[in-house]
Amino acid sequence: MQRLNFEPVLTGKAEAALRSDVRRFLANQDAFPPAEVIDSWSVCNPEFSRLLAAEGWLGMTWPTEYGGGGRSYLERYVVIEELLAAGAPVGAHWVADRQSGPLLLRFGTEEQRQHFLPKIVRGECFFAIGMSEANSGSDLASIKTRAERIDGGWLVNGSKIWTSWAHVCQQMITLCRTEAPTKDRHAGLSQFIIDLDHEGITMNPIKNMAGEEHFNEIFFDNVFVPDTRVIGEVNQGWNQVMAELAFERSGPERFLSSYRLLEAAVEILHEEDLQQHTSAIIGQFTARLMVLRQMSLSVANQLQQGKLPVNEASVVKDLGTSFEQELPDALRLILSTEARLDAKHGVERLLSDAILKSPSFSLRGGTREILRGIISRGLGLR
Amino acid sequence: MNELVTLVEESATRLFKDFSESDTYDSMEAGAFPTQLWNDFLADGWLRTTLAEEEDGAGLGLEGGYVLMRLAGYYAAPIPIMEPLLGLHLLSQVGLPITDELFIPVVIDNDSIMDNISITGVPWARDAAGLVIVFTSNGRTWINLMRPESYIVTASQNMAGEPRDDVQLIVNPLNGAERLENIITASQITSWLALGKSVMTAGALQRVLERTVEYATERSQFGRQIGKFQAVQQQLAVQAELTSASNCAVDAAIGHIGTTQEWELIVCAKITTAEAAGYAAKTAHAIHAAIGFTHEYPLQISTRRLWSWRDEYGNEQQWSTRLGEHTLKFNNDGLWPWLTTQTSE
Repeated sequence: MQRLNFEPVLTGKAEAALRSDVRRFLANQDAFPPAEVIDSWSVCNPEFSRLLAAEGWLGMTWPTEYGGGGRSYLERYVVIEELLAAGAPVGAHWVADRQSGPLLLRFGTEEQRQHFLPKIVRGECFFAIGMSEANSGSDLASIKTRAERIDGGWLVNGSKIWTSWAHVCQQMITLCRTEAPTKDRHAGLSQFIIDLDHEGITMNPIKNMAGEEHFNEIFFDNVFVPDTRVIGEVNQGWNQVMAELAFERSGPERFLSSYRLLEAAVEILHEEDLQQHTSAIIGQFTARLMVLRQMSLSVANQLQQGKLPVNEASVVKDLGTSFEQELPDALRLILSTEARLDAKHGVERLLSDAILKSPSFSLRGGTREILRGIISRGLGLR
Repeated sequence: MNELVTLVEESATRLFKDFSESDTYDSMEAGAFPTQLWNDFLADGWLRTTLAEEEDGAGLGLEGGYVLMRLAGYYAAPIPIMEPLLGLHLLSQVGLPITDELFIPVVIDNDSIMDNISITGVPWARDAAGLVIVFTSNGRTWINLMRPESYIVTASQNMAGEPRDDVQLIVNPLNGAERLENIITASQITSWLALGKSVMTAGALQRVLERTVEYATERSQFGRQIGKFQAVQQQLAVQAELTSASNCAVDAAIGHIGTTQEWELIVCAKITTAEAAGYAAKTAHAIHAAIGFTHEYPLQISTRRLWSWRDEYGNEQQWSTRLGEHTLKFNNDGLWPWLTTQTSE
């Protein structure tokens, strides 16, 4: 049995300076609307993304030859956790910065990198994720969207669903079947970069239960994709997707989605005469947050060392999303108030947002059951 | 820390591996001090792990001591290790004479120091050569090495059968006490003890996880290994998550000894390990089923310790309350900077 590795790491001087820069930047911004600070990495604000780009905080870890910052994973960690803790609207560029860019760096062609990475870094090109389909959720290998080879490229037919902000993004990395399923269900899948302005693409918005409209269902009707927009090797899409998911599972967004509520609760409770029960709940969640930060930083450090800690990333996501889901449930019991859907500000609004958005926390990027399956494989059980 | 871990692990594992014979546990629980094992432990010089080389120590500091304690927890060593290590370390810190004897550190919380103080749950008091008593009186912290003629011991045990005795002091601890001047505070010693227990718990959690995964791959029902059932896998995955979180938390706390964040990182480690202990013990027994419930099968050696240790030196509710009170002192602007300072050099 391989032991999970979470060797602690401390950030140094470079990170401390960067942290101060981000705090100074945030202090100079107008206050973020209270209705947008819970799960703020699902809040799309292209203008804000371009402000971050101007500071050099998109594509921070990418090589400078593609416009990247040439910084470390720990430096990027510091920037994104500062933004998330402040409830900054980072949703527009989030996917491109976190996973699409790194995927292109790992598997893309030189032309693709030169074409897309500098635009992402400038906040001019946002990416959507095209994985799930109406009948393929956790069972991703069962997707039906096809790409057929034709002269000079591929013809894509099918549909994708739950594609956040596809109506704002310019590009979508789309997983398609390029060969009929065989005994090896994971074979015969390929990834394509599809320009979302292309002829043959239609989109229907899907409103979620928290009242937001970032989801879409997106249809492809004979959409032509040139050969130059295949990522990596044809039919090797599954392994590439798994690598992509490893990048997206361990970051601080996996436990900070409801953090603003904790701060708001502390602000209220610190004025009050405390009951032991109240302190104990705050202490328990503080301890969980402390450990999650240590674990997530450790994974960032391992990514920096060139490792691919897939199991550890799954652990962070499962523990992290439990934390951010359970936090509003626990705080509602010690805050003497009720959640209000229409409150303009205050803890009533944050509670409402955190509770109504929380089901998605443990669904996006791999459900609890999928993550625990991955961890079980690491334990040698499957 | 990795080199240190490897160094201590390699040599200590040789010693600890031989401990795991169940008649040693049975006789220990019946009240016999494991003299042979204790003497082996002394002979190898482990008692002085944390001490400097000029004190005939191994020069590994508290950090090295905690690595050893994690192994002691992993192997469920049936001799006192954490307490005498910290007891001797404390004597050395305050400049009192050091001898290779079993000294048990005890912090008295009560601010009114008087005659006939009663202390419950003192580890191994019946076998101790003395108690290193630390207490606060009139706003000052005091230390007193009290020998057995100064107290009466009534034997008692925790759920794992480890000696946790009741002690009645028959001499006022202020008699012959020395003042601890700016070296160390009572609350710091309390947290070192809590960290010792956290570290041992983290080791035991790892052992219980390994045993349970191994059992799930050996045991078959319905024609397949029980570890192939998703219901079992999901529970074991959570156990692995909590076990790795516990080990990360204690590693981080050990790394912060001597820094300004020492206290909060230790508290976090105690809360994390104590919470994980309950889940791990419960899950391990569910997966082992009836065989794990027997005295003969060794799982109980670790799980009874998990259930005992999560309470010792403060349970998760008590420490959460203290950490929560600390957290709630922050206003809106202070909480996040405090959290991020914990992972900065």
